[in-house]
Amino acid sequence: MRRREFLGLIAPSVLVMGGLLVLPLYRTVEWSLQRVNYGEAGTFVGLDNYSAALSDPRLGRAVLFTVGLTAVVVATLIVGGYLLAVMVNGLGRSKPFVLGFLLISYVVPNIVGATMFSWLFDANFGGVVNHLVSTLTGHEVLWFIDPWPNRLVIALDTIWFMLPFSMLVIIAGLQGVPAEVIEASRIDGASTFRTHWSVIIPSIRGVLGFVAIISIMDVLRTFDQLVPLSPQATQIGNESIMLYIYNVAFQDGGQQLGLGSAINVLLILLIVILLYPFIRGIAKEARQA
Amino acid sequence: MTTLQEHGSALEPSRSDGEPPSAKRRPRKSAHTYLVGGVLVLVCWAMVSPVLWTAMAVTKPTDVAFLNPPVFTYEPTMTAFVDLWQTTLFADYLVNTLVVAVLSTIAALVIGLPAAYALSRFPSWVSAVLLVLALVFRALPRFAVVLPMYDLSRALGVYDTTFAVAAALVAINQPFSIWLLRNFFAEIPKELDEAAMLDGCSRLATLRRVMIPLMGPGILTAGIFVFLFAFQEYLTANILTDVSARTVPVFIATQLGQTLPMLQQAGAAAMLLTLPVVAFAFIAQRYLVAGLNSGSVKG
Repeated sequence: MRRREFLGLIAPSVLVMGGLLVLPLYRTVEWSLQRVNYGEAGTFVGLDNYSAALSDPRLGRAVLFTVGLTAVVVATLIVGGYLLAVMVNGLGRSKPFVLGFLLISYVVPNIVGATMFSWLFDANFGGVVNHLVSTLTGHEVLWFIDPWPNRLVIALDTIWFMLPFSMLVIIAGLQGVPAEVIEASRIDGASTFRTHWSVIIPSIRGVLGFVAIISIMDVLRTFDQLVPLSPQATQIGNESIMLYIYNVAFQDGGQQLGLGSAINVLLILLIVILLYPFIRGIAKEARQA
Repeated sequence: MTTLQEHGSALEPSRSDGEPPSAKRRPRKSAHTYLVGGVLVLVCWAMVSPVLWTAMAVTKPTDVAFLNPPVFTYEPTMTAFVDLWQTTLFADYLVNTLVVAVLSTIAALVIGLPAAYALSRFPSWVSAVLLVLALVFRALPRFAVVLPMYDLSRALGVYDTTFAVAAALVAINQPFSIWLLRNFFAEIPKELDEAAMLDGCSRLATLRRVMIPLMGPGILTAGIFVFLFAFQEYLTANILTDVSARTVPVFIATQLGQTLPMLQQAGAAAMLLTLPVVAFAFIAQRYLVAGLNSGSVKG
């Protein structure tokens, strides 16, 4: 392919991404250095927004909450996704049917799924899980007001809609493991657990890493599900980083747009650092392809 | 990124399910088989339960819909759906959602296909940089681009239009589209391009007459995903719309803090949005699976 052809073919896409991703991103960086409101020219304030962000205890809580949620959810996704993938992969004719059911939570919009999820728990709306728990334990759990029960609901919902992705990618990984290798380990007398732990898991390490990095990126950006699941997120310390940005930079009229932008920039830096090993791999691959 | 290539079978989603169960592969039905089956039934049930419970809540008469403790036996009614249709602008929101999804899917494919083709055929540092940028953009916190878009759309006078939401989504999903399509293109041997060009096709003609017909499943997969993302999108639509371009997910979110009948209508809206995608999960399953497996940069 000639250089001119290449440039011609990628031009529309590059223009769209340049105009609607790079320029807005540049704007965010610019805003992060200003005291500014929508539709106005800002005044340059240097790194004030950054120091305000880093010394804000509310941001500290949001980071702690988001990172904790990410750790719990991603660990569950890997372990649960693997177990589920092994079970589903062993199915025969019923596999497409089971997969169809398992995919539902993935295709339903997050905000809609989270709304449905909240109704399982909300005592005001006759939630069935809430009813079950209070009948069994004799306690009335305040799922939306107490920080920890609320965190549990948020984590469960996030796992609920992300598990299908994790499971499907791991199934594909399992199908790539040669049957002979598994056979060989059986013949050598390895137990089922041993076969999984020492043979299958090491050979799909790459896939598990892929699931982990994608899930980490997505949980770090948690936003949609908090709207129905944690109406009092700010008061009870269950505000995610994205929700915090939304609250300071949009919800209250955008008075703190500069601060919100600075947090956006910090979050981007964090994500780029996390992605660094993947970036190196892709760069190598794309040059050789 | 080895995972991108390991599962190169994206064009041919595995169809081994139909194999007759040979005696060797499936020994006797042991306790183990039943255990796995039982666990899977439980998991499926747990995964579907929020949808089932909502389906029950919206078909109950309004006065018992949200009673605590919940009622399990009731006379099913469609009142919530009728009210939703008659007292809210649900039809408009649904049209908005579909317009945004269709517009952004078409635009994303028209723009993304040539770019993905070029990236799969032109190994250079430019491709490397573009693909890395695409991955980083894919991972961006949405607000870093959507808040400036809000400012821009107000300045340009396109705030609260389906066009603005569709344009924003084309750009936001472009990195994903390019990645996915590029992986599908990479599986088509380069010799085919060369043969077509020897026969006198120009580059564009090669793309149009040879590559795109071969890319059928790939294009369908990418189209399905971009459509699904647009259909699901809440954050972007919430920031870029007010009343006239409001989409169904935004509508449902605005109903949340309201009265019980309105809440039940939101549940009805949620069911109307969920039923088609549930059907979709069964019908288009092989494309969803193929898309997720072809090393897509999606979560």
